[in-house]
This record gives sequence, structure tokens and C-alpha cells, in this order.
Amino acid sequence: MKLLLPAIAVALASSFAAQAATPPDTLVIAQSIDDANSFDPAQGFELTSVQAFTNLYQRLVQPDPKNPVDLQPTLASSWQAGSDNRSLTFALRDGVKFSSGNPLRPEDVIFSLGRVVKLNLDPSFILTQLGWTKENVDSHLKKIDDQHVQISWTADVSPTYVLSLLAAPVSSIVDEKSAMANAQKNDFGNSWLIAHSAGSGPYQIRKYIPHEVLLLSANPTSPAGAPKLKNVLIKNVPEPAARRLLLEQGDADIARNLGADQMAALKGKTDVKPMAIPMASLYYLQFNIDASPALKNPAFWEASRYLFDYKGIADDLLKGQFQVHQSFLPQGFLGALNDNPYTYDPAKAKAILAKAGLQNVSFKLSVSNQPPYLDIAQALQASFARGGVKVELIPGISTEVATAVKAHQYQATLNAWGADYFDPNTNASAFAYNPEDGSKTLAWRSNWHIPELNKQTLAATAESDKEKRIKLYENMQREVQKNSPYVVGLQARNLIALRANLTGYIQGINPDMVYYSQVSK
Amino acid sequence: MAGFTAEAGSARLFWLRGGRLLTGLLSLAVTLLGLLVFTFILSHLSPVDPVLQIAGDHASESTYVQVRHELGLDQPLPVQFWRYLVHLAHGNLGISRLTNSPVASDLLRTFPATFELATCAMIFGAFFGILLALVAAWKPGSVVDNIARMISLLGYSVPVFWLGLLGLLLFYAVLHWSAGPGRLDDIWIYTLEPKTGLMLVDSWLSGDKEMFRNTIAHLWLPVVVLGLLAMAAITRLLRAALLEESSKEYVTLARAKGASRGRILLLHVFPNVRGTLITVLVLSYTSLLEGSVLTETVFAWPGVGRYMTTALFASDTPAILGSTLLIGGCFITLNALADALTYLTDPRTR
Repeated sequence: MKLLLPAIAVALASSFAAQAATPPDTLVIAQSIDDANSFDPAQGFELTSVQAFTNLYQRLVQPDPKNPVDLQPTLASSWQAGSDNRSLTFALRDGVKFSSGNPLRPEDVIFSLGRVVKLNLDPSFILTQLGWTKENVDSHLKKIDDQHVQISWTADVSPTYVLSLLAAPVSSIVDEKSAMANAQKNDFGNSWLIAHSAGSGPYQIRKYIPHEVLLLSANPTSPAGAPKLKNVLIKNVPEPAARRLLLEQGDADIARNLGADQMAALKGKTDVKPMAIPMASLYYLQFNIDASPALKNPAFWEASRYLFDYKGIADDLLKGQFQVHQSFLPQGFLGALNDNPYTYDPAKAKAILAKAGLQNVSFKLSVSNQPPYLDIAQALQASFARGGVKVELIPGISTEVATAVKAHQYQATLNAWGADYFDPNTNASAFAYNPEDGSKTLAWRSNWHIPELNKQTLAATAESDKEKRIKLYENMQREVQKNSPYVVGLQARNLIALRANLTGYIQGINPDMVYYSQVSK
Repeated sequence: MAGFTAEAGSARLFWLRGGRLLTGLLSLAVTLLGLLVFTFILSHLSPVDPVLQIAGDHASESTYVQVRHELGLDQPLPVQFWRYLVHLAHGNLGISRLTNSPVASDLLRTFPATFELATCAMIFGAFFGILLALVAAWKPGSVVDNIARMISLLGYSVPVFWLGLLGLLLFYAVLHWSAGPGRLDDIWIYTLEPKTGLMLVDSWLSGDKEMFRNTIAHLWLPVVVLGLLAMAAITRLLRAALLEESSKEYVTLARAKGASRGRILLLHVFPNVRGTLITVLVLSYTSLLEGSVLTETVFAWPGVGRYMTTALFASDTPAILGSTLLIGGCFITLNALADALTYLTDPRTR
């Protein structure tokens, strides 16, 4: 009796289940969307939001999806730098319409860039680098005529660099009329744009339920052309194993952020395509040099570079999730150094420490208790021990660790740094810049005072010549690689898997380089 | 005279009951307030800086100060708490820092998902738990009893996370008896207009039978996984209570009078353990309501458990306080309900 009843119940319930495939006109993506807090380009700065922006909005210029270091005219048809190198005049593309049907006007460009500075939310720092403030931004954005808009700045940066910033998601052009029709109390439409879109990208937000689903529908009037699939459904599936099952069963077309174990399970399956895409995310060990005399000693920094078991972690511990990378610009960025001069060599590290008279060195490593941080930290604990350095792990939730590090309340930390925009300065201004003006750059967090590198970082943003810029960044990377309180060790890869029948999906190195419009199945 | 006494008696009973109700409500309010104070203090003791969470890594000092002021975090703790209470009195639970939407609307959206899952799991767990306990108490020490004990022990000890993944692998991926994670297949997401937030009700009201069937296909597996947890608790505690009750003298007397084992168990012993039964059922139900976060994670179930956990990791204080209040309220109300039920059904407690 007691076995019969559950059997009947299961049999009954199973009759309701039908093997489903994804709808033919919809791209179904299984990923975690718990991080998303806003789909307003002036606010959204988390992975899920940023991945959506390129599909919802367009910028004046955008990276070529197939070769991201090349910027392509998008909403601008052409541009001209001013004679003083402190302004750019853009000619707007003809006949562009937003998803609302409103035509693109210079006012929309002025509104979109101005509101970023005036709202002063998370990603606004990308544009305030130009010297723009709430008070002066309006004077830097000028309508020339119905087809032309001029952007000027006071900071000592080149037009090339400004174009990189204008290609970032925060510079997305928003339909002023739609946004302002839904504005509340001087919020420039922010509260509405959190869950709606007003752009000219290939898709628009049809439905957004936090922690549940983001549904995009085609914007047939997009200047980018109508997308091949009518809808994109991004559903929140927090557990990677469940994402893999959905993909295998054909209930999802793409499963994002899988673990190495999920990728191993998908190996050899003919109906799915696993992919490991390098991301602009570097994992590095960082020391607070004021925490102890040993941590301030460059010999200790050097020894640490030989105590990081790069290959062991990338190939054996976290199979396929990382590649070894030892410079502060990730592979794929303009000017990135991709040679990896250091290998795990405890004997050499011991010799360096002995020569510097450093004995019984130990430090506390503050680290997020989430994978892969804790796994890497445990591997480091073992590899440093072989070089005679004792590492005590201090695990905490990631926000707690971040707060402690930003308050200098730590000795060492293992963390990840993701690029904020697609220009080498995004990382140079973190690793090699400490202006001591209240900016909590990575160098500041290390208490590392670097007037010479500061100058180089600034000079590189002021340089217009691409080849010269590359040279500058290469030199800075070599300097930081050789002599800094960081050990950059790993570059993350995004592990995703697609159904084999899917074509046209492009994903680039930066989080915003996710392109759905050419996907078909 | 007799009439007068009866009137006075019923009036006394009325006041007694009214007094009990008032005391109950008062203790409910005090408990909720205590819970809020505790959660409020705990969330402020957390080493996470909520300003950095909002303003971001690159915020200037002036932005930092401005955000801190906007959040009211520059005020002393008691002032912050008082402000929260005043807003609460106006039905305003604040804005979640993670979703940027009102906490009240977030909870209204997520709670029905948890409520539906927990209630169905409870019905499953109570039905099979009581059945298994009765079967076990029928012949203690027998093979049947041992099997029942083993099943309940398994329900207790197998991690629900693992059981959920295993269930998905077997029933969804291999046997295709169940639908995948989520509450509904993707094709319905376009058409379903949520009215109650309870998918069973909404899909039924939509009149689309396919959708209703699909809801059940999605629901049954997480219900069974979570229900096994409740079943284990109910079986173990109820079995123990039934055996203890069976050792009493009136049972021996009934046996001596020739009553059958089944008659004794069902008509004499079982009704006498109703107090334990009510307590066990209510405790199981409340733990399902608050503690289904792992099941919700595995089955991509957008419930309040996951909402609260995500808020905790992000140090989203308004969301944490709102969810605590909701779950605490449920816990206290259900406990009060259990007390009332015991009071009404068991004259010994009056």
C-alpha cells in the first residue's frame, strides 16, 4: 500500500510532463541573473545588466564584434577631432529610429551622456574622467545642427581614448522622449529604465522579473537590422548543474557560467558545443605593504611570483576555467603582454628570501569563501608552504572581504579584477595608478606609492598614436610584473555551452560583448 | 439563580477568551518587534559596507557621503530603526538595494511561489508521514516498522540539495517524468498573467489545461523532495508519540476487552496524540516555509528563501528585514494557530 501510493502519484504526475524543446523563435538562455539590479545604462554595472546593454542600446561608436580593438561607427556615421584635441564632432547616422519609433536627434546624445554624470551612479566614473561634473557637463555637450553633436572635455586625454569611453555601455544612447515621459522627480527616467529599455539596439525589454526572467523581444526598426530570432529569454537558474541539465534536454539553447565539472560531463556529447571564452577578468594576489615589513620588501614580492603554482591551478585544480596570465592587461586587450615569464619554483623563491634575509615569513590571506577563490587560496597556501612561507586563510563573504580591503584592514588578498571598459586604461588606472586623491585604486589598497607609474598611466591616456600607446602599456606591464605588490596569475575563461544547432552566437572578451542578433537555430 | 450563574459563567468565559486573544496578539507584536530589533542590529553589525555596495568601487568621497546620507546611514542606529518603524507603520518596507524595487512588491511576488511549494510539500509530507507512522506503530519492531524507520531516517539525513539534483537527473533527464527546473515551461511565460502568484491557481484560472498540466509537471518533483523532509520529521515524532501512548493502561484495558489492534490504534491512541500531531505539523510547515532555500536553488524556484539569501549575501538590509518580518510573522501566526487548535480540540489544555 505504502509503495503503491507514491507509485501512483508519480505515474499520474509523469503523465503531465512532456519533453519540451525551446520555442523556435526564441533563444533560451539559462544563467544566474541574481546580480542584475538595473537595466539603465547609467546604473547597471553587474554582469547580467552589462551583457544585455549591447542588445538593447547602441553607442556612437562600438567595438567590431569580430575584432574588438577596432571601433566601428554605429550611431555616428563619422567624427572629427577638434584642432586642440579636446573635442570630437560626430555626424549622426541618417534615418535612425529608437524602438519607440522616435528618430535619433543630437538632443538624445546630449541627454544620454549628461544624465550619466548628473545621476552619478556606479558607472559614471567612466565619463567623469573627462573632467565632466554635474555643473559643467551641459557646457561640454553641444548640438551643432540637426545632424551633428560636439563633445568636449577638459582632462588631458586624447580623442582616441575618449572614443574608447564612448564605446562603453555607459555611453549608450537613450531615447530622451521615452525616458522623460516616464521620469519621476528629476531622475531622468532612471526608475523606469531599471526594468524597461529605450534604445535602438536589436532587442527591447518585454518583461523583467527580478531573480526570475528577462525577456527581450525584437526591435525590427533597429539600425543594426532586425534580429534573426524574435525573442531572447534569459531565465534565472542559479544552480550550474540544473543549467547543464536544461541544455542537455534541449530546454535551453545556451547555458552560461558552468563549472569545470559540468564541462567535463558535456564532453563527447554531439548535440552540445562547450566553449571556453577568455574574459577580461584577472585573478591576482595582492599585499597590503604597510601590514608588515616583510610584505613591503620587494624581494618578498619577487619570491611570491615563484610560489604561485600557475599551471597547477589552471590545468589541474580548476581545469579549463583559467589560463595562465601574468600581466595586468588581459589577453585580447590593446597592448596586452601575453608572455608568462614566471613558473612555480619554490627553491628559487627560498633562495630569494634567504638572500634578502627574510625568515619565517607569514601572512593572513583574506579571501571570499566562494569558489573559485577559496580553492585557489588553498592551493596557494600549499604552494607557499613549500617555499617556507606560511599563509593563514581568512575566508569571508565576498562583500565583507571587499569592505575590509577597501579599509586597508587586511594583509593579503586574492581577488579578481574585471575590466570596466574596453581600453587598457581601465586596468592601468587600477594596478598602476595611485593618485592619492581618495580614489581607492588597487595600488591605493596596497598602500603602494608610485608617482612615476602615475605619470605613465596619465601619459598613455593623453597619447593619440596607437603604436605609441601600445609601447607605453607594454613598459608599464613589464614594470608591474617585475616589481609590484601584486602577483597576477590567472585570466578567467567563461565556460558556456550551446546547443549544437545554434549558429551566429558571438561573445567577446568584455562582458558587454555578447551579441544575440545574428543567432539562429 | 441558575440562569444568572450560567450568564455570569459565559460572560467570564468571553472575557477569558478575549483576554487570551489580546494577550496572544500582544505577544505576537512584541515577538515581531524583538525579531526586528535583533535582525536590525545583526545587519548593522555585519562588516559589509552597504554604501560601497551601491556607490561602487570608483565612487568619490563626496558621492560616498551623499549615498550614505540618502540611505540614512549617517544617523544614529536608534534613529534609523525608528524611521524604519515609521515607514513600516505606513506599509512601506523600503526599496531593495539589489532589485531596486519595493521590498513589499518583491515579497508579494516571491512569497506565493514558496507558499505553493511548501503547502503542497506539507500535504504530501503530512499524508505519507502519518500513514508511515501508523503503519510503523501498528507492529513495532516488525519488518514494516523497520522499513518505515529507515525511510524516515533517510529523509532526515539525505541532503535535500543532493536529493533534488538526483531527482532532476533521474526524473527529468533520464525518465522524462518531470519537467525541468522553473515553475512553468518557457512558452507560457508570454501568456500567463499572474493573478494570485500561485501557479496552480493562475494556470487553472487561465482555462488553458495544457498550462495547468505543465504546472503540475514542474511542481511535483520539488514537492516530493521537500515533502520527504517533512515526512521524515512527522513519521519519527508521531511514531514515538503513538508508541508512548500505546503503553498506557487504557490501551491494555482495551486489549483485554478484546478490541482489535487497528481499532485501538485508530480510534483510541491516534486521537489522543493530536496535540503532538498538531505541533509536529505546524513546526514542519514553518520550517518548509522558511527553509526551502536549497530546494528553491536547485529547482530555480523564485521563492522567498532564495530572495532572502541573495539579499543576505548582498547586505541588502531592507530586503533582509522585510523577509525576516514575513517569515517571522508566518512562524508566529502558525504557532498561535497550533496553540488555538490544541486548545479547541483538547479539553485537557483549557
